[in-house]
Amino acid sequence: MGTIITVDKLVKRYETYKRGSGFKESVRSFFHRVAVPVFAVNDISFTVEQGDIIGILGPNGAGKSTTIKMLTGTLYPTSGTIKVMDFNPTKNRKAYVHQIGAVFGQKSQLIWDIPPIDSFRLNKAIYGISDKDYQERIDVMTHLFGVEDFITRPTRVLSLGERMKCEFIMAMLHNPKVVFLDEPTIGLDVIAKQKIREFIHEMNQRGTTFILTTHDLEDVEQLAKNIVIINHGEKVFDDSIENLRKVLGAVKIVQLVLQRPLEELNIQGASIIERASELNITVSVDLDIISINDFMAQLSKNCEFTDISIKEMPMETIITHIYQSKKDEE
Amino acid sequence: MRRYITIYKECIRVAFATALTYRMNFFLNTVIMLLGDILLPLITLLIYGSGAGFKGWNVYEVLLIQSVFTMAMAIADMSFHGIMWATMLAVREGNFEMVLLMPVDTMFLLMAKSFSIDAIGLLIGGATIFIIAIAHIGVPSLVIWLQFIALFIIGLMVMLGIALMMAATSFKWVGNSRIPEIFDSVRSFGKYPQSIFPKSILLAATYIIPVAMIGFFPAAALMGRGSYAMFGAVIPCILFMAAGISLYRYMVRMYQGVGG
Repeated sequence: MGTIITVDKLVKRYETYKRGSGFKESVRSFFHRVAVPVFAVNDISFTVEQGDIIGILGPNGAGKSTTIKMLTGTLYPTSGTIKVMDFNPTKNRKAYVHQIGAVFGQKSQLIWDIPPIDSFRLNKAIYGISDKDYQERIDVMTHLFGVEDFITRPTRVLSLGERMKCEFIMAMLHNPKVVFLDEPTIGLDVIAKQKIREFIHEMNQRGTTFILTTHDLEDVEQLAKNIVIINHGEKVFDDSIENLRKVLGAVKIVQLVLQRPLEELNIQGASIIERASELNITVSVDLDIISINDFMAQLSKNCEFTDISIKEMPMETIITHIYQSKKDEE
Repeated sequence: MRRYITIYKECIRVAFATALTYRMNFFLNTVIMLLGDILLPLITLLIYGSGAGFKGWNVYEVLLIQSVFTMAMAIADMSFHGIMWATMLAVREGNFEMVLLMPVDTMFLLMAKSFSIDAIGLLIGGATIFIIAIAHIGVPSLVIWLQFIALFIIGLMVMLGIALMMAATSFKWVGNSRIPEIFDSVRSFGKYPQSIFPKSILLAATYIIPVAMIGFFPAAALMGRGSYAMFGAVIPCILFMAAGISLYRYMVRMYQGVGG
């Protein structure tokens, strides 16, 4: 395959204004604002292979969206270079964006008052898609998503999940080689998330390269082959998902609502990591020691609970683990 | 070029579809805009009805100037005024990236996407007064008509320049919804016979912010009351539009450069 994206020493610095709180500070900042430099992205380098799905992970404010914006050419870097399919995204914008697609989970391309099918037609005109290609792609993608029925309803009456599926169709109508996804599953229910992941997987099988930013580890676990983790604008991890698992260990987080308070768990490989209240506890389960199946069996013997949810490790904990493993290596 | 025409046609289709979704809103908007802008000719009629008036201009001549101004406003509202609000909103809500992701000229796309048919009532109202006024003044020759059309288009260029300059300011001063009101006041100078103004205002409205070209100059040409100043204002008008386009494009590049 070959490298399709090369990011080298990417930096984005911008200025924001510091404002104090309270009336006095508000009045002061009206006359004199103090500019504060912010490094949203600081010296990030990575590469993406053609046909890959790469996950850019990080907590809120880590610099994921800024990185995506620079990759799409909608924001200029302060320094560093980006090469996507031999394009420099900051130059020849029109030719470049014709080759890429983008879905921003919190921004919409769809026109609110009219059905998605009319928005698709507008994109058909914008990208100069032939009637034949347009019809073929609409048929394939609406079928994949199962949205044939609601693309003719006004966008405003669609659910978030339905809208997001239509956003994907909108972004991929022109058959882009690379698609940038910024938090595409944010706010969606489990079923909608799964449908979108299946779609991404299917389109990837057909040759599209995806760059996905998320703070949902499950998105990445199900889709990405490689991961870049960013924290405070700096890259803290760039490797395969398998190697991330090695760093983190195979750990699941289980949240329990108990019927009666519990002193000790007494299950090997599982430990209580947080007590929100007497009856609400969070347990960490090491899957290298005990399987979820065995854990559940022992848990039901040891205690009674009214609710249980199995979660991925929070992003902050992952980053702590990565920093810790780096220290250990040193 | 063909693709751009197709996009524009598609945007007009979307604008109609959107307007027809909220029929009552479309109807009310049309009527309110019509009433708001028809008020001016009504005041003119009242002034002349009471025996007063603008010295050297009869009521139909003044109505002609005002109807030309109204038609220019209506065309601008329909085709490119929307870029001001669309830019302001996109910058304020951080959605401008969605426009930059499209493989067409950003300015053109925002203009096309903000096409609105709400001002159709205003256009019909302006055209009606125009027909009444011209019927009383007398139908001019073909050459005069051509002169009028050319000056009318140049007047639209001035309005485009103003709209783009206002839109460009929203990149720097986010949420500057009052700036259009200042320009609205300046533009108002175009809807009166210029001879009623002091010389300094006349010069400013002709050569600096050439708003006289929006209503007065095309109407004056149609009445056969053209002047050298009128033709001398053509170059400042074109420069004014070019300045608007350049400023807008510069601010788009700045947005890409400094946004977070």
